[in-house]
Amino acid sequence: MPPYDNRAWWLLLPAMLLLGVVGVLPLLAVINYGFHDIFTLQDVHWVGVEWFAEILGSDRFWASLGRSLLFSALVLGILVPLGIMVALVLLTCGRWAVWGLMLVALPLVVPWNMIPMLWLGLINPDTGLLGPGLAAVGFDYKFTAWHTWALILTMDTWHWLGLVVVLAYAGLSSIPPAYRQAAAIDGASRLAVFRHIELPRIAGALAIVFLLRFVDSFMIYTEAFGINAGGPSDATRFLTVELGEEIKGFSYGQAAARAVLYFLIVLCVVWAFVLATRRREA
Amino acid sequence: MMRVLALLALAGFILLPLAQAILLSFTATLGGEGVARGTFGLMNYTAVLATPELRAAMLNSAIYVFLNVSLCIAVALPAAYALARYSFMGDRHFLLAILVFRVTPPVVLSLPIFILFAELGLVNSPVGIALVHCLFNLPVAIWILESFIRAVPRELDETAFIDGHTGPAFFFRHLMPAIAPGIGVAAFFCFIFSWVEVVFARILTVTGGKPITMAIQAMFTFQTNIGMVMAMTCLSLLPGLAMIWFVRNHIARGFTLRA
Repeated sequence: MPPYDNRAWWLLLPAMLLLGVVGVLPLLAVINYGFHDIFTLQDVHWVGVEWFAEILGSDRFWASLGRSLLFSALVLGILVPLGIMVALVLLTCGRWAVWGLMLVALPLVVPWNMIPMLWLGLINPDTGLLGPGLAAVGFDYKFTAWHTWALILTMDTWHWLGLVVVLAYAGLSSIPPAYRQAAAIDGASRLAVFRHIELPRIAGALAIVFLLRFVDSFMIYTEAFGINAGGPSDATRFLTVELGEEIKGFSYGQAAARAVLYFLIVLCVVWAFVLATRRREA
Repeated sequence: MMRVLALLALAGFILLPLAQAILLSFTATLGGEGVARGTFGLMNYTAVLATPELRAAMLNSAIYVFLNVSLCIAVALPAAYALARYSFMGDRHFLLAILVFRVTPPVVLSLPIFILFAELGLVNSPVGIALVHCLFNLPVAIWILESFIRAVPRELDETAFIDGHTGPAFFFRHLMPAIAPGIGVAAFFCFIFSWVEVVFARILTVTGGKPITMAIQAMFTFQTNIGMVMAMTCLSLLPGLAMIWFVRNHIARGFTLRA
């Protein structure tokens, strides 16, 4: 048990000051803007909860929310099992595993706004390495909603698989060999070893993966905008695409109210997740 | 056999878009003075390095990422030490509170941060981006460093204190060498989230101080030289590759948190 000492707060002070300036102050300002109509910063009018009521009463908001939640669910449903599988394969690769980790970490260092460009270049029907083949089977990402969704999901998987693999590998490689040896002597199946030995060991890392990937995929903007600008006909119009339009259109009050709503949704999901994790630990 | 096939498929999936980019970066995609379209060579790289704005963008990115990583590590180290070694009133709440900052979408805070930084004169300067990226990098750095410090036996602290080392001397001479891989991993994660970030980089560089991401964006015009765009993209990958190489043996250890 670590010693109890409230003086430790002094060590947290620099971090708190920094986060206060770049985090707390702007957050309070956003909440304040959400209750105002803003023409210029000198011409601000109190409108109460009008923006919130308007957004919550619009069908487009709920449709976008549904799309964003579906997208996050699909991202997690694809990335997490795939990442665990890759980590399990790498675990059996001995000294080659480190090269595998480096390979999957590579897309993490690609500038975010270049990822749609790389993929659009790849599937370009005239010059792309995959383009002519995809065109031959009738794939045109601007044509149907399915195609655009498939492309964005593939791109997201490409971009973030490394994070899941690195974290899952971290958990898996920390399991003492004796655990697996004991399971082998008991005649445990591969599935049983995974369920009772490996999965509990990577639960902490997976919790981080779930949180980071939920938050980032829920707020996907660059990829959706870069690929088809929310199209075809609103099929990839996620929450942030709407927010981006409002900011570009100088509707700051409304944009702030929308931002507060997104923030609250994310916070609720994260809070529920943290509570569930703590209950499981207890 | 299945394992080899699976790994080859994975390598293909990861490398294909990058292979396309590398191929294009060595190809004259527009053609021009004395260079026919489709010619293979270093012309795009020479053009990138000969453009002052693109050179400045690389320097800007390097400056703000360096500032951000240094600031995050300097501030996260004492915080992580406090969380790893002491219990105090509200310690668990602090970890949850910093989580809130990591989960706040950048686009939510973009407007007030722009206004605040405009007041402080930090718009169009790499310092502004470096500061604002602490918002999501500092929590990550604290998490990683905390788990590394927790793994170091408490005897290290006690021996150092008996030897008369306290405060900064203890941090620099004992703690930092002991958790050097952790600092490397934390720096790597701060680097990857900062180097590639787009939202704050865009709103905080209206007229100047543009980082690589925005310089690439600005290259898309009526007649885009896609070969040059890809050359710039490939150059922007080099520091990331170097970082991956340096932390390769420790990269997976960064997030072994208490389950």
